[in-house]
Amino acid sequence: MMTIDTNAFLIIFTASLIAISCGLLGVFMMLRKMSMTGDAISHAVLPGIVIGFFISGTQRGIEVIIGAGLLGILATLIIDWLRKKAKVQLDASIGITFTLLFAIGIILINMLAYKVDLDQECVLYGEIAYLPIDLWITKSGFSLGPRITWLAVLNLLLVITFIWLLFKELKLTSFDESFGIVLGIPAGAINLALMSMVSYTTVSSFEAVGAILVVALLVVPPATAFLWTKQIKSLIKLTIGIGIGISVIGYYLAFWLDSSIAGMMVSVAGFVFLTSAVLTSKKSKFKFGTQSKEEAFSS
Amino acid sequence: MIQQVENPILEIHDLTVSYDQSPVLWNVDLSLPEGKLIGILGPNGAGKSTLIKAIMGLVQASGGYVKIFDKDLDQVRNRISYVPQRESVDWNFPASVLDVVLMGTYGKLGLFKRPGKKEKELAHSCLEKVGMSAFASRQISELSGGQQQRVFIARALAQEADLYLMDEPFAGVDMATETAIFQLLQEMSKEGKTIVVVHHDIHSAMSYFEWIIMLNLHLVASGPKQEVVSEELLRKTYGGKLNLLTKVTDLIRKKEFNPLKN
Repeated sequence: MMTIDTNAFLIIFTASLIAISCGLLGVFMMLRKMSMTGDAISHAVLPGIVIGFFISGTQRGIEVIIGAGLLGILATLIIDWLRKKAKVQLDASIGITFTLLFAIGIILINMLAYKVDLDQECVLYGEIAYLPIDLWITKSGFSLGPRITWLAVLNLLLVITFIWLLFKELKLTSFDESFGIVLGIPAGAINLALMSMVSYTTVSSFEAVGAILVVALLVVPPATAFLWTKQIKSLIKLTIGIGIGISVIGYYLAFWLDSSIAGMMVSVAGFVFLTSAVLTSKKSKFKFGTQSKEEAFSS
Repeated sequence: MIQQVENPILEIHDLTVSYDQSPVLWNVDLSLPEGKLIGILGPNGAGKSTLIKAIMGLVQASGGYVKIFDKDLDQVRNRISYVPQRESVDWNFPASVLDVVLMGTYGKLGLFKRPGKKEKELAHSCLEKVGMSAFASRQISELSGGQQQRVFIARALAQEADLYLMDEPFAGVDMATETAIFQLLQEMSKEGKTIVVVHHDIHSAMSYFEWIIMLNLHLVASGPKQEVVSEELLRKTYGGKLNLLTKVTDLIRKKEFNPLKN
């Protein structure tokens, strides 16, 4: 029994870390109205992953992360170029860019499949349930625990550092990009840095939750939190809370129904979002604006 | 009637801007004096906002140059303040009024540094100047159009600049607020600040601005109000728009009992 509990804890813990990393970046993607760019990036990194995988010969190589990061930035640049220079609508340029890059990735997997141990199934869906048997073992043979958990810890630390350092700049450029440019803040560089973080987070998470479901973790928790609050700090806190919540509930539902954990997490997230949307549309009962607070304060 | 000045605070030389090959500003060549309240007038689509954006480097000029304080924009960013159009942002953004005003201090703070006590005090005093102190902790999604506009002006004040460029700060603002803000701008210009305002209403423009720029793709006029405001130049600026033209002529006729004369 003991081992099952440890495994359950490890899976929920790792899933929460991934959901929090994605959610934190997702908050800013949403505020920039770029949630679908996050979707595009998560798919467009595929050729980068395959090429990195091919060069390093292993999933663990730094080349995989660099390859994916470069492709993520490339996708952002292509989308931006199509929109601004070729005057293609944003949704169309996102659709064109990520499907094209994703297709190239699929072709590369097929071409290189005999050389590398990588298949579409793993990239597209991931499987967090295998996490406890994929251990990080040092050269002396000492086991440090699941590799993916360590990756998720490192990822979350980097995401938190990134947002903590650039919080003010991210906030300003998300709200009013041209004012940021006027102030001399490197808005373009900050945007690319955010996109690189999203690419890296996607790659870091794809073995666990796959390239498709990682999109849901980027989009759904922030969107749900935004239904409930209009303050950026509580928005971030609520997003973290939802990330942990869907990991716990998703795991136990998947355990109970013997189904995919990542799939269940995202289904729970979708359900929470829909419930929130219904509840918050009945505004009279649930009022969370600061206006009401202020009135209470002055009376 | 284009009057050039000695030692201009802002010098625009042969500026041409085009979107997709079609020019929206043709060879604009003007210089502005320091410490004046300056209005940019012109019909819709005359390139007024484009002129402001070109000065701030937000749109690429296809010809000509802009010098501010006799320097390039990048050297003097800290001394210029900008009020964009209210509709240019999504007011549903999760930020309080104070948060937005604090953004005006980000330029001087530089990367990575957070606004501290000094910046917060500055932001509060700027909110007081526009009469929004009571709203400091309110979320911006809960503001009216006129209040949003005042928040943007407070944010520009927090930049503590010498030159202010404001893109239609009076759009959707009621008369009382407009008067109050104009008084504030007049005080600022008395302190030696230069304020350039894109403005729609010819009537109030005549009572408040000291220097007027008239624009309709080409520069029609730039000079002190007394010398620039004439029926001929207004016709040239708003020409072709018949409806407006009659209104303009009415205004000219009323000129005798205009505050302009007194």
